[in-house]
Amino acid sequence: MEKITLEMAEKMLEAAERWATLSGYPSSIAVVDEAGAVIAVHRMDGAGPMTTDISINKAFSAVYSGAPTLMLARLLDPRMTGKTIGSGGLGLLTQARLRLMFIPGGNPIRDGEMKVIGGIGCSGIPDGVGEISDTTAVQAGYAAIYEEHD
Amino acid sequence: MVMNIDTAKKVIKAAIKQAREMNRLCSVAVVDARGFLVALHRMDQALIPTVDIARDKAWTAATFRMPSSDVGRFGDPSSPGFGFNTQNWNDRLTTIPGGLPIKDGDEVVGGVGVCGGTPEEDVTVCRAALDKVFASVGVDAKI
Repeated sequence: MEKITLEMAEKMLEAAERWATLSGYPSSIAVVDEAGAVIAVHRMDGAGPMTTDISINKAFSAVYSGAPTLMLARLLDPRMTGKTIGSGGLGLLTQARLRLMFIPGGNPIRDGEMKVIGGIGCSGIPDGVGEISDTTAVQAGYAAIYEEHD
Repeated sequence: MVMNIDTAKKVIKAAIKQAREMNRLCSVAVVDARGFLVALHRMDQALIPTVDIARDKAWTAATFRMPSSDVGRFGDPSSPGFGFNTQNWNDRLTTIPGGLPIKDGDEVVGGVGVCGGTPEEDVTVCRAALDKVFASVGVDAKI
């Protein structure tokens, strides 16, 4: 299993920050390892204080669930939860000491064997305003480490 | 001077360089004057709990405007401040040495926290980082 190094994490942050700058919304970006533990976090100048913890928790949630936090957001969609209380993702709300985030913007990072080796999360860019969202910023970050392998 | 991401990155780079020279695996956190996290890096293979401890040290140093080790003297049973440790400050309070306020003259603009070695080594890493980053721009980073 490959590991995410601090150097790789910094590269990812740099790429994601470039996209956040393009979007015009200063934000926080976090990279965590396979245990969901922080490797690096940056809060860009002008980003709100709450974005740091949200980005860390988005990255953690992506590792914990093994899926983008967009999927967790879908679980709470009223169309998904159904008529019976508890039939959807409601039980997840209190998981992991309330650290699970149900907001898009956190993606798991996988190695060549599709094993989850970490996560990356971004917070600060609103969804649906421009072409760039938290999710596209983290995807740019993810792509940054794979450019080298080619 | 206001704490920004560029300054925070410089402090962290300098601290990690110092920690490497001392052969220690550390986490380094930098917070702004309000105690909010600006940047945090964990060296490869450094222990997981060092992340939160480094952040707590930086928070304590910035908000108390003194080294995190100095905060411990309020906990002395004979001092009037005894009992402060039972207050709930975001569960962030720590009296472990290794957190230093970042000063611009008399004004505290942030804090840096290091965790990974012994408390004395952590303080050495903090001090080395502040000396290196702020000596060049003429900011008094002495404690």
